[in-house]
Amino acid sequence: MITKKLYVIGAFVFLLLLLIPLFFESTFVLHMYTLIFFYTALTAAWNIPAFGGQLSLGHASFFGIGAYAGAILYVKYGVSPWIGIAAAGAFAMLGGMVLSLPLIRLKGPFFTLASIAFAEVLRMIAIDWRSLTNGSVGINIPFKPALMNLTFQSGKPFYYISLTLAVVVVYLTYRIRYSALGFHLRAAASDDEAAKALGVNTSLAHFVALMWSSAITGVLGLFYVFYIYVLEPQTIFSLDLFSLQPALNGIIGGMGTVWGPVIGAVLMTPLGEFLRFYLGTIQQGLNYVVYGLVLVATVRFIPGGIVSLLAPMMKRKSAEKAAKPAIEKEAR
Amino acid sequence: MDLYAQVLVSGLLLGGVYALISIGLNLIFGVVRIINFAHGEMVMLSMYLTFWLNYFFGLDPYLSALIVLPVMFAFGFLFQLFVVQPILSTSATMKIFTTVGISLLLQNLALIMWKGDFRSVQTSYSMSSIEVFEIIISVPRLVAFGAALASIIFLYCFLKYTYMGKALRAIVEDHSVARLMGVSVEKHYLFAFGLGTMFTALGGVLLVPFSSVFPTVGITYTLVAFVVVVLGGLGSMSGTFLAGLFIGVVESFGGTFVSPALKEAIYFAIFILVLLVRPQGLFGQGKGTEEVGLK
Amino acid sequence: MSLLEVKQLTKRFGGLVAVNKMTFEINKGEIVGLIGPNGAGKTTVFNLISGIFPASEGNILLNGRELKRMPAHRRSLAGIGRTFQVVRPFEMTVLENVMVPALARNKSTKLARQKAEKVLEMMGLDQLSDSEPGNLTLAQRKRIEVARALATDPELLLLDEVLAGLNPTEVAENLPIIRQVRDSGVTIIFIEHLMDAMMSVSERVLVMDQGALISSGTPAEVTQDACVIKAYLGEEDPQC
Repeated sequence: MITKKLYVIGAFVFLLLLLIPLFFESTFVLHMYTLIFFYTALTAAWNIPAFGGQLSLGHASFFGIGAYAGAILYVKYGVSPWIGIAAAGAFAMLGGMVLSLPLIRLKGPFFTLASIAFAEVLRMIAIDWRSLTNGSVGINIPFKPALMNLTFQSGKPFYYISLTLAVVVVYLTYRIRYSALGFHLRAAASDDEAAKALGVNTSLAHFVALMWSSAITGVLGLFYVFYIYVLEPQTIFSLDLFSLQPALNGIIGGMGTVWGPVIGAVLMTPLGEFLRFYLGTIQQGLNYVVYGLVLVATVRFIPGGIVSLLAPMMKRKSAEKAAKPAIEKEAR
Repeated sequence: MDLYAQVLVSGLLLGGVYALISIGLNLIFGVVRIINFAHGEMVMLSMYLTFWLNYFFGLDPYLSALIVLPVMFAFGFLFQLFVVQPILSTSATMKIFTTVGISLLLQNLALIMWKGDFRSVQTSYSMSSIEVFEIIISVPRLVAFGAALASIIFLYCFLKYTYMGKALRAIVEDHSVARLMGVSVEKHYLFAFGLGTMFTALGGVLLVPFSSVFPTVGITYTLVAFVVVVLGGLGSMSGTFLAGLFIGVVESFGGTFVSPALKEAIYFAIFILVLLVRPQGLFGQGKGTEEVGLK
Repeated sequence: MSLLEVKQLTKRFGGLVAVNKMTFEINKGEIVGLIGPNGAGKTTVFNLISGIFPASEGNILLNGRELKRMPAHRRSLAGIGRTFQVVRPFEMTVLENVMVPALARNKSTKLARQKAEKVLEMMGLDQLSDSEPGNLTLAQRKRIEVARALATDPELLLLDEVLAGLNPTEVAENLPIIRQVRDSGVTIIFIEHLMDAMMSVSERVLVMDQGALISSGTPAEVTQDACVIKAYLGEEDPQC
């Protein structure tokens, strides 16, 4: 019953979201929703390795690689961003492969550290390799509105694009979590040695998870840069915006669950923007002080994230699920 | 040839400071078994403290160590007491997030209080140098190296010969056995964190005469310290020292012959290479590495 | 024909020799007990066979195939199942726990679910499918541990103290499981401290002391062995 109710609520919310641009002309409202959708997708992608307990603080790397791949192909070689999607995903995945090298031997904090370092390195390379990336000046996407150019007169198309991305990515993570890969990742997160003893190639599972995550993140990076038109190495590879933010959303919503990232992104994106604009203008850095406090407090007081607070409801849900097969069995 | 020797010497001198900062990290890791992502912020704080002592009271950076070191010892002690102790029994993820949160907090508090400017202390000896065999050696760097070396030797002797040091080594070896032998483990955690932070702070103080401080300076030092510790082998003091020198030299050569902007890329490449080829570090590793996920 | 051959197996941890030149064979369909005083190295032998860590020296052959360089998960796929002395359930439901090994062999969650349900039913755990192992008794969690190992379809099953820590009633409930598993055609080596249980189930017993194999034979034989008595009771015997 409750499962059904949730589906109905979900469908209703989705319909409502489809209608919003028809009623709100305010660019601010549309922008806020678009950002929320981007961050939902980004956090969900970040969450895939987190199913296996791997905590990345360097997803800006993949985001940035995808963004650069798309922008360079389009601006320098005139390749449509729609075709660029494949390149963005592929190059980001390549980056994921490089980062996964230490994964063969490293778990936990060292992987996290390697991920931070990786994004830092990419930022420096992007600044240094002027012939390709234009250095610290960055790349501007020329304003030539056309569907082929992924450039539009109004904010509405991107509202729908980002909504679609969010839905697709969340659905993908849902599929992954309940697939063999998802089971392997969860087992590895819970007890790596026991998982291996049961035949699970945990290293491979972590690797595949990172491949999915990096490729998806790269594609998101491409869409994002066409949404905001500007690509600067300092911003796109920023630790705060695209590495820490998805991780923060994830941990606050509930790391390693399907809905945690959604809840986290929906709550934290408006809060983050608010803090950036209000506190950030009063005093530079104040917003991050709040972030740091929220992070430490969440870990201390609700380590399972907000999803874990909703657990009683979920429990009932799973109890009903469990009851169903029993009834079916009896019927047979 | 002269250029190579020159670059080598500068690298070794800088490496001494890196070794000192990394030994602080390694000590904390070995005893408390926590990976502290806010380690570089300890360097940042001690650099600022040194800077302000000089700014307001005209205190010489080296003399200010007399104030900075006890203050940072207390800071480390309290950090362990209020931040680390409560999360010791939680998962690795929680530990990472807590220390990352603290790092974010400290960086931005520094930004609020002291603005984003690059600040540096000019002393009479900042620019002075001596020449040995046609190699120019900067005096503050030489002092930094000497002090780093002296304090590493001091720490080594302390760990080897004092009761407290022996207790710390016992904890590094095996927590539960140390506890059974009557070592009050939690008390020693506090002390170890204080001590580790103090050595790290000394590194910060020694850096001040020749490098500038700004709120996000810590990230670089966190990265350097981790690379050094992984390279040298977790839990190995002598390994950390040699690895520190090595990274200093690599940075020096990379900065001169490749590009100063890419020094972190070089660290990262080394980091990955070491993990692939010799995950136990160049000089072997101590106990407890499995607990933090390095196998 | 022997299923498992262990030759000169040695494991050193620093200066400590945990397992010292163990050599033994296990035949297909056998049920063999591995006993010895605490710290004799029994669990280490299991860890070496299942590949939790590499051997310092020696060979391990399964069906004549060298396992030495094989990582733990491949050994599991090759047919070696094991349980852990301290139970290590994953943080997921009982059913999902048992699905994990099935999914390491077949990507279909549907088939894995069927397989897991079958194993749970065989182990008398079907009522607990949707519980979290954390909320169950030790006896139940030990059963889950066995169920999970069985879901790997092992040729050789290493059971590490599946009865330890249980009260007499629970032992009586769990003991038949070992027989049941053997009856399904799986070869078993098991470590157990409960001598009665051990003697009543095993066909052959290997006795370890201080890392070395000191005796082997039928339960009746080894209990007569002077060396075994010495290992357990510390009595002096010039022959040992």
